[in-house]
Amino acid sequence: MSARTRELAILVLVGLITMTGFASVYIARQNEISAGSLSYAGFFFALYLVAHFVGRLTVPDADPYLLPMAALLTGVGLTEIYRLNPTDALRQGLWVVIGVAGFSATLIALRHDFRRLESYKYLFGLSALALLFLPALPKIGRSINGARLWVHVGSLQFQPGELGKIAMIVFLAAYLHSKQEVLALGRLKDFGPLLAIWGCAMLVLVATHDLGSALLFFGIFLAILYLATSRLLYVGVGMTLFLVGAAGVYETTAHVRSRVTIWLHPWTTQPVPCPTRGGLLMQRQECESFQLVKSLYSIAQGGFSGTGLGKGTFTLTNGKLLIPDLNTDFIFSALAQELGLVGVAALLLVLMFFVVRGFNIALSVDDGFSKLAAAGLTFGFALQTFIIIGGILRLIPLTGITLPFISYGGSSVVANFILLAGLLLVSQRANEAR
Amino acid sequence: MVAASMSVDAVLLALKIAFLFLLYVFIWRIVRAAAREMRAPQDSFVLAPLAERHEKRAPRPGMLVVVSSPDLEEGQRVELAHEAVTIGRGPLNDLQLDQDDFASGKHALIDPRRDGVWVEDLGSTNGTFINGVRLSSSRRLAPGDVLRIGETDFRYER
Repeated sequence: MSARTRELAILVLVGLITMTGFASVYIARQNEISAGSLSYAGFFFALYLVAHFVGRLTVPDADPYLLPMAALLTGVGLTEIYRLNPTDALRQGLWVVIGVAGFSATLIALRHDFRRLESYKYLFGLSALALLFLPALPKIGRSINGARLWVHVGSLQFQPGELGKIAMIVFLAAYLHSKQEVLALGRLKDFGPLLAIWGCAMLVLVATHDLGSALLFFGIFLAILYLATSRLLYVGVGMTLFLVGAAGVYETTAHVRSRVTIWLHPWTTQPVPCPTRGGLLMQRQECESFQLVKSLYSIAQGGFSGTGLGKGTFTLTNGKLLIPDLNTDFIFSALAQELGLVGVAALLLVLMFFVVRGFNIALSVDDGFSKLAAAGLTFGFALQTFIIIGGILRLIPLTGITLPFISYGGSSVVANFILLAGLLLVSQRANEAR
Repeated sequence: MVAASMSVDAVLLALKIAFLFLLYVFIWRIVRAAAREMRAPQDSFVLAPLAERHEKRAPRPGMLVVVSSPDLEEGQRVELAHEAVTIGRGPLNDLQLDQDDFASGKHALIDPRRDGVWVEDLGSTNGTFINGVRLSSSRRLAPGDVLRIGETDFRYER
């Protein structure tokens, strides 16, 4: 059986899973048994069939499991978003269509040799910066929840930093590949362009209060630097700088101090007056940690096998959402309630296998740029997943960032589909050489 | 009405179990595929140039010991330095095997890097073998590996 045929077989399974999940949500919502969900599953399956056929034409020998895993994660995410807010789900569905279009465009444009990207490395570095800087511009930028990350064009809302991440990884992979020999020597002047672009990125991120992304960019930078030079010293220096920087930010920024307090002491004993989003003061047991505490209760409520999709409790009796940002940053705790430990463990396994297969691709390809790009993209995916799920489970302080493929958020979905296309291109190269 | 809501609950329970079950069927398929694809020792994806060629503390790359050869003397040691070494029948190679009729003009490249000594076939006619397996891409040598070029066998030692 060829790789693509195997992919098709497993996509059918994903279609079945999505259909079951959506049927469950639909029936729980309508409280009557109906087959109305079938058309949704059909649409979803057709969309992935398109992605599959583009893959068949452009990357026939690439890894057959990455696309189905991405399809499963988007399917589960979309189902949960529909369950929380059908209007959002419609918009997210549209973004998935755009994502698949971006995926196909990337595959078609780069099907002959994606390594020519290597010669445009500075273009990628500068566009990463431009994308990160876009939300800070006065006319189109918009800040939500204290972080200025969004760009508005008409009614369209976009978070360009997600695409900036991919451009940055391509830049780092290309630059480090061409300079790896001299960089390993450790002369400062060879680091010039690298530190300039990366330093600007960090400045922009810190200035826009996007700490989650700052952490992500920092981690990706260190990982690719280590992969290119194999010098643990750089990782050590990087970690030290990180600790110093984190301590500095902690001292100077109230926002960060409160994140750490919320992380270490989410439960308070006395109700305190607490400003809510509507501008009202309410007596609440937990104030700033309200969101995190409610999310922990939501996870606990799920227990071993969950309430079942569509039957979880996310709203107060007056219909207000119990947890703010439930379908973006906190979608994991919504899923944990409805799918239980068994279900989210399965999702974590899928995320993990996505990472394992990504690293496998990096292992099996034989040229440096492809290796660094594949490993960098995969590492970024893994670290992003860790930062948000670790934050929700109170393993590390919470910083808002999307859960790849699952969270509500157009830019995140589109960026992750392009990332997926990149991994498939590298995989194709590795497998056709064999 | 009660009966109807009972059956809705039953369907929801069935869907919940089916969903979780199918999720694990999916994972099982992927794990099975991963197990099937487990190959012989994986290479490293750390790109590791041996950039500190002139540093004293750079690790010594090791040597190749001739096991059998129509050309070189048995037991002869080829110490590897930090520079890459080409092996082949032609006169321009760093290590020349001019009596070995099965070796190609430019046969293989031995490249000591920071993460070990790598062997690459340079498009030879008869192939380069490590422990009897023909190389398809570059591979890292482990101590004790037998490298076959033409009719010459080398053992890699630290």
